[in-house]
Amino acid sequence: MKDTPSTIFVVDDDDAVRTSLRLLLKSVGLPVETFSSAQEFLDAFDAERAGCLVLDIRMPGMSGLELQQKLNEMHAIIPIVFITGHGDVPMAVEAMQHGAIDFIQKPFRDQELIDRINQARETDQKNREGLGERDAIIKRMGHLTPREREVLNLVTKGKANKVIAFDLSVSQRTVEIHRARVMEKMGASSLAHLVRMVLEAERAI
Amino acid sequence: MTNQLVPPRLTATQDLEALLDAAVDAIIVIDHSSHILTFNHAAERLFGYAQEQVLGQDISMLMPAPYKAAHAGYVDAYLNTGHARIIGIGREISARRRDGSVFPAALSVGKIGDANPPRFVGFIHDISARKAAEESLRQSESLLRNAQSIAQLGNYEYVYPDGVISWSDEMYHLLGLPKASGPLHIKELGQRFVHADDTAHFDRICTHAYTTFDRFDFEFRIHRYDGAVRYIHSQGTVHPHPAGAHVTGTLHDITDRKLAEDELRIGQERLTHVARLSTMGEMAAGLAHEINQPLTAIATYAQAAVRLMDSPDGADPVDLRDALLQIVAQSLRAGEVIRRLRGFVKTRAANSERLEINRLIEDIRILAGSDARVNDIRLILDLDPRAPGVAGDPIQLQQVLLNLIRNAIDATCECPGALRELTVTTRPLGDGVEVAVIDHAGGIPESVAQHLFNPFFTTKETGTGLGLAISRSIITAHRGKLGYRPTPGGGTSFFFTLPQLVGV
Repeated sequence: MKDTPSTIFVVDDDDAVRTSLRLLLKSVGLPVETFSSAQEFLDAFDAERAGCLVLDIRMPGMSGLELQQKLNEMHAIIPIVFITGHGDVPMAVEAMQHGAIDFIQKPFRDQELIDRINQARETDQKNREGLGERDAIIKRMGHLTPREREVLNLVTKGKANKVIAFDLSVSQRTVEIHRARVMEKMGASSLAHLVRMVLEAERAI
Repeated sequence: MTNQLVPPRLTATQDLEALLDAAVDAIIVIDHSSHILTFNHAAERLFGYAQEQVLGQDISMLMPAPYKAAHAGYVDAYLNTGHARIIGIGREISARRRDGSVFPAALSVGKIGDANPPRFVGFIHDISARKAAEESLRQSESLLRNAQSIAQLGNYEYVYPDGVISWSDEMYHLLGLPKASGPLHIKELGQRFVHADDTAHFDRICTHAYTTFDRFDFEFRIHRYDGAVRYIHSQGTVHPHPAGAHVTGTLHDITDRKLAEDELRIGQERLTHVARLSTMGEMAAGLAHEINQPLTAIATYAQAAVRLMDSPDGADPVDLRDALLQIVAQSLRAGEVIRRLRGFVKTRAANSERLEINRLIEDIRILAGSDARVNDIRLILDLDPRAPGVAGDPIQLQQVLLNLIRNAIDATCECPGALRELTVTTRPLGDGVEVAVIDHAGGIPESVAQHLFNPFFTTKETGTGLGLAISRSIITAHRGKLGYRPTPGGGTSFFFTLPQLVGV
């Protein structure tokens, strides 16, 4: 973590919240870049840059949840810490289901936010280290059973468990078990991470 | 010459007969035992008898029953005592025609010279018409008195500054004065009865009316004689008079109406307040967000400042100063939201003041904008700088606007795929301004449209169904109209009009 320069990307439409976050992160020596909208962040997004995203869940135009969805579609693995207002719990739960690291309610204790950010940076670093070891990825893929390989292929094509179960003529529960085993064997922290590993491995072949 | 002028005796008799025949009044002569001696033409016409039928008959034949018996007694009494009950005085009597009908008559009686036995002459004048007119007048006065009493409306007429010409009975009743006290001079009325808080108003209007001879029409309170406070509506006209001014007018006790109006007004204000609270409740998420944002910034700036100060390199004073200034600004921002909210939800009486409609809309940008933002909707203000000034209650008008915006937000949220944008526009009309809230939420279904303004009709799970009904009553009270129309591209424009402020 110390070796890789990683950046905290803050996206919030509220000027005051955004600039106060910039000052706070600067005060603890973290490199920060701020964006006033999801679109502005997307326009500047570079998948190769290490770091994490601190993302306001409610924003006019593209919301935080929509940005998360877009990043997932792009198989981006940048970890996301959501910041939410009161009464945004259902949205936060949805964000968690889609792979967010955590969410934190406004106003927040600085240490809590910094802890989440550090956690996200570690995740990002691990993911990137994992990505960097193509041989290791291929080796791990070698440990998968033929059925697990099939499930991996279908999962990374974006198919839902239900569809995979139908395609393979097995129960949905069986697919879920295979899928969990795949994630575990591959050391993937999220679906996006898994996809990135597969892409990486295919590139290497 | 002189001899020729002295009329002969025969001529005198002829003159007398001519006089009797020409007289308009009935003339009847009777002797001491009440027998008719003379009955002129007018008497024949009046009573329906020919002279021959009555000569020598008793005079009582011309009288209805109760007088008949008494008459002989009167004559005897006079003859015995010399005490005249009627002679030289005249009185009103009832007389009887040949056909039996009775009529009122004025009778004057004279004793003829020194005739012995005495003879009397009576002059009888039919006063039916006068009596009928009097009766009719009495009846209409009674009707008027009753009507005034029922209406609690008194009328008066006086010359200022001289004094009162007439006062109707109801005037006493209105003031609680005993009738025996007599009418009051206007100055006394003003000093003794008009409520202390209204005397300046009363004096100003009276002085203006008496000097310009203008009509007047105003209200004031009085302390009635019994101490009760009553509301009086005073109307009248003033005309020039040699002594000053001739004033004719009415006082109308409108206390009951006033109290009912007050009750109604208070009820409406309460209802309006409840609707306002309800709108605020619906906007709570947005408002919480709007306060939470500055709180978040304040907490974050303060924590950053502490970390900067604790850092081994020491804090950059520029950063610290900036953080502190931001904390101040964000505190004020949160305070401003709360101030507006408090102003909006407190109980208050309606009042009317001069307003710039565009500023009024700008002022609710925070409240409405935060509600829109948390629902991921863009609020656009498109305000025409030519919008004229209006008169009204700012809080009530903002309430209407927030209610329309709130509805538009709900409609947009319930319409998947709708353009998430609301526009508030103002535009000048011929004689006022139109304010519209325009959404793109697909329009209003027919089943909803027909109940839209009914109280307690709602399409929302937690709605009261009062918003639009109260909004419309507020706008109507401002002499405007509230309605809606579909917009091209599948949306709705809810609009209201307000008349231009006159005299500006």
